[in-house]
Amino acid sequence: MKDNSGTSRREVLKRLGTAGAVAILGGSSAFTQEKVNKVNVRGGAIDVHHHHQPPSLGPGAGGRGGGGPWTPEKTLAQMEKFGISVAILSMTQMGDILYTGTEAGRTAVRTGNDYGAKLMQQHPRQFGLFGGVPLPDIEGTLKEIEYCYDTLKVDGIGIYSNDNKGRWPGDKYFEPMWQELNRRNAIVYMHPLAPLCCRSLDYGPAASMVEFDFDVTRAVASIVVNGVMFRYPNIRFITVHSGGTVPMLAGRMKDRVPNGSQKYLPNGLYAELRKWYYDIAHAAFPWPMAALMKFMPHDHILFGTDYSPEPIESTVNELPGLDLSKDFMQAMGRGNTERLFPRFKA
Amino acid sequence: MAPDNGLFAQQGQYKPTAKGGCIDVHHHLSPPRFGGGGGRGAGGGRGGGLGAWTPQQSIEQMDKFGIGVAILSLTQSGDIIYDNTEKGRAAVRTVNDFGAKCMQDYPKRFGFFASIPFPDVQGSLKEIAYAYDMLKCDGISIYTNDQQGHWPGDPHLEPIWEELGRRKAILYMHPWVPACCNNLNYGASSFMNEIDFETTRAVTSFITNGVLFRHPELRLITAHSGGTLPVLAGRMKDRYPADKNQYIPNGLLAEIKKLYYDCAHATYKMPWAALTSLVPPTQYLFGTDYSPEPIETTVNEIPGLKLSRDVLEMMERKNAERLFPRFKM
Repeated sequence: MKDNSGTSRREVLKRLGTAGAVAILGGSSAFTQEKVNKVNVRGGAIDVHHHHQPPSLGPGAGGRGGGGPWTPEKTLAQMEKFGISVAILSMTQMGDILYTGTEAGRTAVRTGNDYGAKLMQQHPRQFGLFGGVPLPDIEGTLKEIEYCYDTLKVDGIGIYSNDNKGRWPGDKYFEPMWQELNRRNAIVYMHPLAPLCCRSLDYGPAASMVEFDFDVTRAVASIVVNGVMFRYPNIRFITVHSGGTVPMLAGRMKDRVPNGSQKYLPNGLYAELRKWYYDIAHAAFPWPMAALMKFMPHDHILFGTDYSPEPIESTVNELPGLDLSKDFMQAMGRGNTERLFPRFKA
Repeated sequence: MAPDNGLFAQQGQYKPTAKGGCIDVHHHLSPPRFGGGGGRGAGGGRGGGLGAWTPQQSIEQMDKFGIGVAILSLTQSGDIIYDNTEKGRAAVRTVNDFGAKCMQDYPKRFGFFASIPFPDVQGSLKEIAYAYDMLKCDGISIYTNDQQGHWPGDPHLEPIWEELGRRKAILYMHPWVPACCNNLNYGASSFMNEIDFETTRAVTSFITNGVLFRHPELRLITAHSGGTLPVLAGRMKDRYPADKNQYIPNGLLAEIKKLYYDCAHATYKMPWAALTSLVPPTQYLFGTDYSPEPIETTVNEIPGLKLSRDVLEMMERKNAERLFPRFKM
């Protein structure tokens, strides 16, 4: 692999290596720390991985970061506390409610979108929105895309990594959705959802431990090897958790590209994987960051937190140990994201 | 940006640093006519040309790349050997007798991880006794799941771990795509990603079910720089089931750092950066995944990693010598 950003990047990596060693020796004391690790970004950070929870769809996960049901007030207080000026909201793990292919699913999606849009209206400078779609219903999805963009003025569209019926996003089934999103130069935010095959595997932990990250990799592979990015180059794709396992596996993946897919990869698999944007939510640990920063162009790394399923601390408390340069922090925290969403330019 | 597509042009560039050459812990045998030819277990593969695997072919490749010793194990054949029938048990025995013969024919060049007939516990116990006491194997090879929907921490397999713990066994764990995930229709074969997910599932199963806690004498080797384990370790520690904390008195990361990791087909900068920022150099082992993979895909990447002499020697040979003292120079 060729280093694509010269000396300064090598410098960063060298320091990252040291930071990794320090983090290992020091252990991880994220939650006992009293100090608030405010993100040091001019204009405040933009969080692309931040979940809203419409009250009418249940109390929501709350999750490790929540402590009770999610409210916009809680999110705004957390953002203030950690130096986050903008959060682009999307729906959290609700595949079973949203991706049913029924009227109930379509209604739930609409509820989530209207609620998100209302929050944007109330806090136009602090909230953005990735509109949800009612997959696997393609007609419903096309209608919702239109509503999201034309009526609600969303910043992008949020999808899960599979349609909750055993299909991944590169399946031909989704072609009309990709056509429409390409026509709109959409930004697509892809969030994991544990697929049917792998929700109840009996090997010990809950699916949230590793299966989410596997499915991000499946979905990225599906989109790339089935030519979605080749046919629809106007779409920009963001996914989560430092790419799940994509950067780690990229080398082995390139040696396993199906022969029939080579035509979609005129510059090789790496070139396509590097067109993605990856948020660092709950994956700013030295190990995924080491793989991510070796692999990805640094202007494709975005800040995210996965609040409230995750506490913001589990991302930001790792940042000081990485010893990232000021320029890198500014770009990851805001600059790279401003280019995708110019309306949030400071 | 130029992708890494020039691998095969660099042939012969890599020369091991360690005296005596590398010890390859991830190197596959396939008995003649095993798997009926053309099946998943037929040998050959990207590294092997079209013919069936032969010991001579491996020795030639080892000589070419400075590999002193290869510890052989069976390649992807879970459908044959884990079928839980007499046929499967017989196939395991065929593999083990063939592996032992390879060792006899080349005692200084080949070691052997014997297979066992998962999920048959009694059959596995018998095969363990045979493999150690009669064949003098160097360790036991298992796949990451038993082909029937169980992962290694499943309680019904406990007698096997008891016996292997008693023997202070070295356990070589090779990925095998489980039934759930072998035909997911997302466009790529299961060898592209699913196989690496599996290593993480199986390690998780070992740890969360307390196998490594109850049997600390077991030394577990995983393949491909840990599959996806190093990049996920942080998220995993935050998602570790609270009711299993008794099995990780020093935390999950401490358990992950105790495992051994072969670098077969995963010496790319990205996995290597993740692995080495998490796991100490005492745990790195050399491996190639020959013949399913050509040896080049591992060794051609090593010079670019710019490893220190010490780390190279540990990874290539010295760590393996500690595990398998009979190969000590």
